[in-house]
Amino acid sequence: MEGLFTFAPAIVLFPLVAFAITLLVGRYLPLGGAIPGIVATGGSLALSLVMAAAVAGGETTNELVYTWFETPEITFHFGLLIDPLSAAMLVVVSLIAFLVHVFSLSYMNAEGETGLPRYYAGLGLFTFSMLAFVVADNLLMSFVFFELVGLCSFLLIGFWYRTKSAPSAAKKAFLVTRFGDFFFLIGVVAIAASYGTLSFAGDASFVTAAESAIDSETFFGFDADTWVTITGLLVLGGVIGKSAQFPLHTWLPDAMEGPTPVSALIHAATMVAAGVYLVARMFGYYALSPTALAVIAFVGGFTALFAATMGCVKDDVKQVLAYSTISQYGYMMLAMGVGGYVAGVFHLLNHAVFKALLFLGAGAVIIAMHHEQDMWKMGGLKEQMPVTYYSFLAGSLALAGIIPFSGFWSKDEVLYDALIVGLSEPLILAAYAMALLAVFFTGFYTIRMVRLTFHGEPRSEAAESPHAIGLPAKIPLAVLGVLALVGGAMNLKPLEELAGLEVAFLERWLDGQGVGSVDGLTYHAYSETVHYGHEYIGGPEGTVILSAALSLGLALAGAGLAWTLYSGPEPTRHTERLGSLRDLAVANYYQDEYQVWLARGLTLPLARASDRFDQTAIDGVVDGVGSVSRFGGERLRRLQTGQVTDYAALVILGVLALLVVLGINGGWFL
Amino acid sequence: MIELLLAVVFVGAAVTFLAPNRIAGKLAFAISLLPAGISLWMLTAFDGSGNALLSGGQLAFESQAEWFQVGEYAVSWFVGLDGISLPLVVLTTILTSLAILSSWTPIDERQSQFYGLVLFIEANLLGVFVALDFLLWFVFWEAVLIPMYFLIGVWGGPRRKYAAIKFFVYTNVASLVLFGAFVTLVFALGGDGGVSSFALPEITQAMHAGGIPDGTSLFGLGATELSAAIFVALFLGFAVKVPIVPFHTWLPDAHVEAPTPASVLLAGVLLKMGTYALLRFNFTMFPEQVETFAIPIAAIAVISVIYGAMLALAQTDLKRIVAYSSVSSMGYVILGLVAFTQFGIGGATFQMVSHGLISGLMFMAVGVVYNATHTRMVTDMSGITAKMPVASWIFVAGAFGYMGLPLMSGFYAEFSIFYGAFGSELLSYAPLFTGVAMFGIVIVAGYLLFAMQRTFFGPFALETDYELDRAPLHDVAPMLVLLALIVVLGVAPDTIFGMITDATDPIVAAYGGEAA
Repeated sequence: MEGLFTFAPAIVLFPLVAFAITLLVGRYLPLGGAIPGIVATGGSLALSLVMAAAVAGGETTNELVYTWFETPEITFHFGLLIDPLSAAMLVVVSLIAFLVHVFSLSYMNAEGETGLPRYYAGLGLFTFSMLAFVVADNLLMSFVFFELVGLCSFLLIGFWYRTKSAPSAAKKAFLVTRFGDFFFLIGVVAIAASYGTLSFAGDASFVTAAESAIDSETFFGFDADTWVTITGLLVLGGVIGKSAQFPLHTWLPDAMEGPTPVSALIHAATMVAAGVYLVARMFGYYALSPTALAVIAFVGGFTALFAATMGCVKDDVKQVLAYSTISQYGYMMLAMGVGGYVAGVFHLLNHAVFKALLFLGAGAVIIAMHHEQDMWKMGGLKEQMPVTYYSFLAGSLALAGIIPFSGFWSKDEVLYDALIVGLSEPLILAAYAMALLAVFFTGFYTIRMVRLTFHGEPRSEAAESPHAIGLPAKIPLAVLGVLALVGGAMNLKPLEELAGLEVAFLERWLDGQGVGSVDGLTYHAYSETVHYGHEYIGGPEGTVILSAALSLGLALAGAGLAWTLYSGPEPTRHTERLGSLRDLAVANYYQDEYQVWLARGLTLPLARASDRFDQTAIDGVVDGVGSVSRFGGERLRRLQTGQVTDYAALVILGVLALLVVLGINGGWFL
Repeated sequence: MIELLLAVVFVGAAVTFLAPNRIAGKLAFAISLLPAGISLWMLTAFDGSGNALLSGGQLAFESQAEWFQVGEYAVSWFVGLDGISLPLVVLTTILTSLAILSSWTPIDERQSQFYGLVLFIEANLLGVFVALDFLLWFVFWEAVLIPMYFLIGVWGGPRRKYAAIKFFVYTNVASLVLFGAFVTLVFALGGDGGVSSFALPEITQAMHAGGIPDGTSLFGLGATELSAAIFVALFLGFAVKVPIVPFHTWLPDAHVEAPTPASVLLAGVLLKMGTYALLRFNFTMFPEQVETFAIPIAAIAVISVIYGAMLALAQTDLKRIVAYSSVSSMGYVILGLVAFTQFGIGGATFQMVSHGLISGLMFMAVGVVYNATHTRMVTDMSGITAKMPVASWIFVAGAFGYMGLPLMSGFYAEFSIFYGAFGSELLSYAPLFTGVAMFGIVIVAGYLLFAMQRTFFGPFALETDYELDRAPLHDVAPMLVLLALIVVLGVAPDTIFGMITDATDPIVAAYGGEAA
C-alpha cells in the first residue's frame, strides 16, 4: 500500500480497538465506556475523509492485507479495495457511527441505563465489522463481515435481554437473515469452485472470469450465463435477508426492540444497506445476467409498494420508520435491477443520512415522551422541541421525496432509470408502476407521522410536559438535518439533462471521471455490460420532466392528503375506516404468521417426530438387540451381579489376560 | 519423545490414583500440564512432512522397535506423528487439562479415582493418535473404553448404568467388527501382497501398490468383493464411534449421564477417534472403494447433518441439544472426507480440532450452569444471564462458534469442507449434496438461538431456595482458554491448516486427484 492508503486499515481497526477496550475495562471508564467509541469513530471519519480526498486526487487501492490460506488453486484472504464507491460509503458509515455514538450520550447515558459498556462494545464491534465489509475486496471477506454485523445486530437488538420481547426479536432477526445467508454461502462456495477466485476487482476477479467464460464454458452442467444467473441469485438470498426485502423483511420491524440509536445506525442507515451495497460492489457480475437483474428490479419494486402500504397504518413511530426503511431499500433494489447503478448508490447514501436523522429524531421524541412510542399519545411537540422538529421535518421531506430535499433527487433518478427501461420491458414497467404508486403512500405515511407527532394539541401528559433533550442529541440532528436538505446536490442529474450543466457529480465520481477508479468497476463499464435498451417519451428531456412531475405530483398528493386528514388539534383515526384492508395491513399481510408457522407449525413438529422415530425405531432396534443377547446370556446370569464394578473388574481381567497372552507369545518375560 | 509423553501420563494417572482425595484435583491438573507442555513443544519442534502412512513423507518423533511375531507377521512398537495426528495430540492434552480444571466444582467424591481415570483416558487417547502399528493402535483404542465406562458408570447421572453399558457394549461390538475386518485384510495382503507386519504404513502402501492380489479367495470372496467387504466392515466399525446416523443412539444417553469432564472428553476427543480412524483406514487405504461407495457415504453424511440437527431441535435438555449437535457436526466431517479434495479432507481434519474445542466449551458451559442451577432443562429456567453474566455470555459466544460464525474456528472448518465438497470430482452430484448439507447452518442457528432465548435471556426465573452465585474462576478460566483458541484458529487457521493439508494432500494426490 502506498501513500495515504497506508493508513486505510486504521479506519477499520480503530473501532475494533475501542471494542476491546470497552469490553475489558469499560466498567471502569467514565460515561459507561462511550469515550473510546467516540474517539475511534471520529478517527475513522477523519481518515475516511482523507481516503475520499485521495480518491478525488485520482488514486485507488486494491491490496491484499492478510492471507487466510493460500494454494495455487485459490487464495482466501482479506484485502482492501478503496475506490469511489467504497470511499463514499466509508464516509457515510463512519459519519453516522460517530453521530450515533454522540447521540447515545443523551439516549442511553442520560437515561441511566445499565450495561452501558456492553452497549458501547457492541457499537464498536459493529462499526468495525461494517467498515471492514465496506472495504472488502472479495466475496468471502464480505460474507465474513456480513455475518459479523449480523451478530452485532443480534446483540444490540437484544440489549434489553431481561425483557421477553427483545431476545425474541433478536433471535428472529438472526434466524431470518441466516436463512438468506444460507443461499449466500452456497453462492460464495459455488463462485469459488467455478472460477477459482473470489476477488471483486482486477484481472483475477470472478467477474472477469465469468465474462470470459460466457459462450465458451460450462460449469457443473450449466452454460456459463445460466450459471452466472444461478450463483448471482444465490448471493441475492443474503442481500434479500440483510436488506429486508420481501419475503425476508419480517425481522426488521421486530428489530425495533433495540435501543433507538441502534435502530438508526444498524437497522436503517448501515447494516441494512449492506445488502444493496453488495449488489453495487459486484454489480459487474449481476450486469451479466438479465434474469438476475429483472428479479432484483421486481423484488425491489414490489417491496417498495408492499412495505409502504403497511407504513400507512402503524401507530408506533418506530414501526412507521421501519416499514419506510424496507420500502426505501426496495427503491435501491429497483435501481440496481434496471442498471441504474448511480441512482441506486445515490439513494443509498441519501437514505442513510435522512433515515438516520429520522430515527435519531424519533429517539429524541421518545426520550421527551418518557419512552412513549405511540404517535396518538403525542402531538404538539413542535413548539417545545424546535431543533428536533425542524431537523425531523427535513428528514421527512427528504423521505417523502419533496423538492429540493435530498430524497427527491435520488428517488426521482431511480424512477427515471426504471421508466426508460420499462418502456421496452413489461416486467420492469410493472416494477416501475409499483414503485411509483409507493411514492403516494410514502408521502402519506410520512406526513401523517409528522402531523401526529409534532402538530395539533398534546394528547397525553407526557406530551404536555416533554422531557428536555441534551446537546449530544441536538448536534447530530442538526448536522444530519442540513445534509438531508442539501444532499441532493451530489447528483443533480435532471438539471444536467435539461440545462446542460455539469452537475451530476456523483455520476462522475462513480464513473471515475477526474477521480481515481479501478478498471471494470466504473459506471460506464457496467452500462456497457447491461443489456437493456432505453426508450423515451418525448425524448430524454421530455421523459425527465414527465418522470419528475409524476413522482413529485404523487408525493405531494399523498402528503397533502395526510396533511388535511390529520389536521386540527384532535385528528381522527382515518385509516380505521378502511376496514378489513386496514386489518390486513396492520397484520402485515400475515407474513409473520406464515413464517412463524414454518418454524413452529412445520419444522418443530417434524423435529419432534424425528425424535420419536429415533427413540422408538432406531434406538428400539439397539435395545432390542441388547435384550436378545441378554436373554441368550441367561445362563451366565450368576456373573451378572448388577454391580458395575464387577463388570468392570471382569473387563480389566480380560484385558490383562490378553496382554499376558500376547506378552508370553512375544517373549516379554523371557 | 512420544514414549516420554505417554509415560508421563500413565505414571501421572497411577500417582493420582493413589493420592488422597483432598489434593487429587490439583495434583492431576499439575500433572496434566506436563503432557500439554510436551505436546506444545512438539508443535514447535515438528519437523515431519507428508502423510504418516504414505511414502514420500517424513515422520516426526518416530520410534520403532520389534515387539513380537504373530505367525509370519511382525508386531512392533511403532509410533510417530504427522500433520494429521499432531493437532489431535495437542487438542487431547489441552482439553484434558481444562476438563480436569472444570471438574473441581462438580466432582466431590472419590476424587483420586476420578482424576486417575481421566489421566488414564488421556494416555490411551494419545496412544490412539500416535500408534502406527495396528495391534498397538487397537490396544489403545480398546483401553480408552474402560476408564470412560467407569467415569459414566460411577460419577454419572441417574441412568448411568444403562448409559455406560450401552456405550461400552455398542462400541465394543463395533471394535470387534473392525478388528476382524482389519486382520482379514492383513492376511489377504500377506504372501503375494508382500505384507509381513501389522505396521500401518506398510499395509497402506501395499493397498496403493495394487491392493489385495487378484486370485485371492477368502470366505468365498474374490479380491474386489473382499476389499469392498473389508471397507464396509471398517466403515461400520468406525461409524459407531463417530457416530454416524443410524449408529448414534448411544451418544445422547452417554452424554446426558456423563459428568461434565467426561462429556468434554467424549465429545472433544473420543468422537474424533472415529473420524481419525476413518481418515487413516478407510479414506487413506481404500481410495477406490471410497469412489465406489461415494454416493451412499455422502448420503449418510448429509442425513447425519440434517437429521442430527432436527433431533437437536426437538430437545429441551441443554446437554442433549449439544450432544445431538455433535452428530450434525460429524456429518460435515464425513462429507469433507468423501469429497476427496484438498479442502474437503483438510477441512474435515480441521473440523475435528475445531469441533473438539467448541463442543468442549459448550459442555463446560452447560456444566457450569448446571452446577449452579441443578437443572439442564430449558423449560425450567429463564434469564440466567442476569445472575451468571460471565458464564452465560461465554455460552453465547460458544453457541455462535457452533453456528459457524466467521473468525471463529468452526466457520473456517465448515467453509473449507463446503468449498472442498462442492467442487469434488470423485463424488457425483457434489453440489447438490453440499447444498443440502449446508442447510444445517440454518437449523443449528434455530435450535441454539431458541435454547439461548429460553435459558439465558428474558426475565429471570428459576425455582430454588438459594441465591445463584457467579461461577468461580476455575470454572470460567478453562472456558476462556477454549474461547481464545477458537478465535485464534478462526482468525489464523493457517496455524495448523498448513500442517494438516501437508499431511492430507498426499492422500488426494495418491489417487490421481490434484493437490497442491
